[in-house]
Amino acid sequence: MVLKLYGYPTSTCTLRVAVTLKEKNVPFEFIPVDLVGGQHKTPAFTANQPFGQVPYIVEDDGFQMYESRAIARYIAAKYAGVGEQLIPKDLRESAIFEQGASIELTDYEPFVSGLAWENKFTQMYGGTKDEKRAESLLATWRSKLDAYDKILGQQKYIGGNKITLADLFHLPYGSVLLGIGIDEFSSRPNVARWWNDITSRPSWQAIKDGL
Amino acid sequence: MVLKIYGFPFSTATRLVVFVCKEKQIPYELITIDLFKGEHKQPAYTKFHPFGQVPYIDDDGFILFESRPIVRYLLKKHASQGTQGLLPTDPQAEARAEQALSIEASSFDPNVSGIVAELYFKPQRGLSTDEANLARLKETLNEKLDAYEVILGKQKFLGGDSITVGDLAHAPYGTLLETVGQGEFFTSRPNVARWWKEVTSRPAWEAVKAECVL
Repeated sequence: MVLKLYGYPTSTCTLRVAVTLKEKNVPFEFIPVDLVGGQHKTPAFTANQPFGQVPYIVEDDGFQMYESRAIARYIAAKYAGVGEQLIPKDLRESAIFEQGASIELTDYEPFVSGLAWENKFTQMYGGTKDEKRAESLLATWRSKLDAYDKILGQQKYIGGNKITLADLFHLPYGSVLLGIGIDEFSSRPNVARWWNDITSRPSWQAIKDGL
Repeated sequence: MVLKIYGFPFSTATRLVVFVCKEKQIPYELITIDLFKGEHKQPAYTKFHPFGQVPYIDDDGFILFESRPIVRYLLKKHASQGTQGLLPTDPQAEARAEQALSIEASSFDPNVSGIVAELYFKPQRGLSTDEANLARLKETLNEKLDAYEVILGKQKFLGGDSITVGDLAHAPYGTLLETVGQGEFFTSRPNVARWWKEVTSRPAWEAVKAECVL
């Protein structure tokens, strides 16, 4: 019995786990959750994920967990011997990886998810775009990416000089924004170089259009 | 050379680092960066922290920023001393600790920091509270804490039955939430209230509150 990934085919958080599974060549079964039909808010679902969100995983022996970045870390640790070392072992290298992972969480995620919401998802759910909020998010995100450009001029990847989970975490939302014409990467040389590098990885190419 | 923490005594991220130092009995020197004077945006500072935020550490020449990486680094480096089990090494226990830390970062921090900004930091800067945003944030935080109530009815702490860094990470912003009169988020939920009291009554946290003042 393979690892079960409960999620949504194009959900950013589901893809964050999927790209990690692909990097490590871990076979998995994708079980779609009917978000549109509200399956994630049913008691049967919240018994497995108390926040009513996707994804969560269930392993062979019944171990289950949620939170995409925590799941990715668990996969990277469990399969540390396979493929790339997505979380470095050396104390200082792992600290720089953690710094990169935290940068993604606090200097990227809030802005890209907010921009994706205002520019794409809110309309899908019958809402209207908050122009002021979208403007403010874009302005702040641009200043964050200026800092990214400095960092990526000094090191190859966001978590050090080798690819790590920290880079992979950026892929889903970055792609969503590019898909709706918001490209803040091309104009920043180091960011552009890094983005081209990480998006060309076979693991991402395999799943970028959804599961 | 003793660990140097460049931060601000009331900064929540700075306080998390000091909290872990105290739990692990790590000696440190807290060097105050004057946020009011914009010291964190000066080139001399952004040289070390490209995002111009507090804190960063200098551990014998090793520079690191972002509070959650800093505390993970310190927990790994000083694993054998002070409070044990804050970052487990058993794979499944570690996964649960990471899940807890992720819950804090994604479900707690954004909503609590937003509420505190609306109720305290914005007025302090002469800006008016966005009531619609505040209402939305409170609604979201209520939903999230309802889930916490379920989790904490089954286990003592967010990562299992022992305290981990994911629980500690809630202390700085949670305390700030109480300070701006929103403590009912905790007190209205019996399991959450029990957990919150356990986390914040730790001597190390009391010491942080006493020491991290201007």
